[in-house]
Amino acid sequence: MSTFFKFVGLALVIGFALFLAVVAGDYGPWYFAWLVGTTMIVLISAAGAVLFDTQEKSGKGDI
Amino acid sequence: MPLIDPSVVDLSRLQFALTALYHFLFVPLTLGMTFILAAMETVYVITGKPIYKEMTQFWGKLFGINFAIGVATGLTMEFEFGTNWSMYSHFVGDVFGTPLAIEGLMAFFMESTFIGLMFFGWDRLSKPGHLAVTYLTALGSNLSALWILIANGFMQNPKGASFDPVTMRMQFTSFLHLVFSDDAQAKFVHTSIAGFVTGSLFVMGISAFYILKKRHKELAARSFRMAAIFGIISTLAVVTLGDALGRLDYLVQPTKIAAIEGLWQNSNAHSSAMAAPWLLFALPNDATQSNSAEIGIPYVLTPLVTHSENKVIPGLIQQEQQAAPRIENGIKALDALQQYGQDHDAASLATFKQYEQDMGYGFLAQRYAPDQNLALVTPQNQQEIVQKASRDIVPNVFVTFWSFRIMMFLGFYFVALFAFAAYFSLTNRLEKHPFLLKLSVWSIPLPILACEFGWITAEAGRQPWSVYGWLPTFQAASSHPVGYMVFSLIGFALLYSTFIAAELYLMFKFARLGPHEHDSHTAPAQGGAAPMFAKPGLADKSWQ
Repeated sequence: MSTFFKFVGLALVIGFALFLAVVAGDYGPWYFAWLVGTTMIVLISAAGAVLFDTQEKSGKGDI
Repeated sequence: MPLIDPSVVDLSRLQFALTALYHFLFVPLTLGMTFILAAMETVYVITGKPIYKEMTQFWGKLFGINFAIGVATGLTMEFEFGTNWSMYSHFVGDVFGTPLAIEGLMAFFMESTFIGLMFFGWDRLSKPGHLAVTYLTALGSNLSALWILIANGFMQNPKGASFDPVTMRMQFTSFLHLVFSDDAQAKFVHTSIAGFVTGSLFVMGISAFYILKKRHKELAARSFRMAAIFGIISTLAVVTLGDALGRLDYLVQPTKIAAIEGLWQNSNAHSSAMAAPWLLFALPNDATQSNSAEIGIPYVLTPLVTHSENKVIPGLIQQEQQAAPRIENGIKALDALQQYGQDHDAASLATFKQYEQDMGYGFLAQRYAPDQNLALVTPQNQQEIVQKASRDIVPNVFVTFWSFRIMMFLGFYFVALFAFAAYFSLTNRLEKHPFLLKLSVWSIPLPILACEFGWITAEAGRQPWSVYGWLPTFQAASSHPVGYMVFSLIGFALLYSTFIAAELYLMFKFARLGPHEHDSHTAPAQGGAAPMFAKPGLADKSWQ
């Protein structure tokens, strides 16, 4: 049952994200760019840290 | 009605500029640090590695110091609209007050609530729950900035409101037009991401300091990597949005863009618009309305500003000439408005409606009218009055030109710095380049400086208007005694300087200390200092 509610919750988040994207995309292209861009910046920066851990593990531990 | 003493207007402007610039020393770091903390905590939640939790908590502590002082300095400005800018508040309060009120709700309810949960919720919330709180804190601080910039966007390019001749003030026509105005959008994204750059260089610079001193290398190397990547993408976005704002100024604030580019004559004055040089260096002289010592790059200005090959950018002298008929119309609009106020007759209202769009230009003429009374303007003295008033549409070109260039040159310096930093971090060669590390340390204050000069460009370039094209700044202030203004100005300067001293002291202290065992959220079993932002032990009653 908890899995079901988890899926419902995530579906609601996705629905809200799509609604936000449509409204922001139509009326505020720069707002939309900020939403997408900020998410991208955060995730790429996080990926950089994960890459650092991988490099460290593979013996390239220099800074 | 007599005009407000020009000294009081200047002191009111100085006071607002001072408090805004002080406040803006703290804001960009808050805007950027929150999302950097969110990125660090995201890695912690995904990988489960404690080092990322330590990073989030350490940088969160420095963020907390900045946030507290930033909030304290921001409170006064909202009150200044009432105390020092009461005419402005009367004229546009219905429109301007709405985003300010929403900002208050965002800052004091959403942002503050989640910041409390972020700091004190490590032991009380699940990992994903705490991560959600960190993201909501970041969103809250940036949404708070959004509403301020929507309000500012209205001052630059008034959308979503019209003047009501009955109430004698501007009133809403469309809330959506206000929120989604081009100026508000571009300004918000430019400012928010400039905050990301500030936060990135702050984290990168302090991490570089640790790497140079060979301390906390595990934390410093990861923080440097994340900040460098965060920074390079953000700087490129800031430059893109800067270009968008420049084009927007060309479309809706032609005096500002001409002042930014030091353009006294039309861009096609010498040969063609296409060949117009973009000035890297010049010494604009506001008195003679000319530049000296110009160094420019031909064929760059027109495509850069207009995004076309041959559109002409109007020069300031030509804009002065074009303002003359608008000032004449504005005088007619204000005369009709005064008449309508007395008689409420349809003819006066119709005349006012005919010239309504130029009403603000009529205000410009008031300071040159006999006894500062537009009713005393006659066909004999009108030409002289209009000629004098038309020169007032030009902002201070020297200040606007150079504040823009300092911001822009710093922006391109950040692109280079972050590019090298990201490259050497990704290839694990940072320690082989101590100069880059030292440069990162010394560059920490530069994004804040760039933000300050960006703000000066936007606001000095908006002059002589408080609401562009509608209300001149000299009409917007409150009438106070000069002594009152001087006293409060000195008070603000002293108080805010104390805040800055406190911030710098705390930042240097905690940054030099670095992340320590006693700062961990886990309290030592016996003895030791109390952890920062820790949950009080139930058995320990000393905190009660």
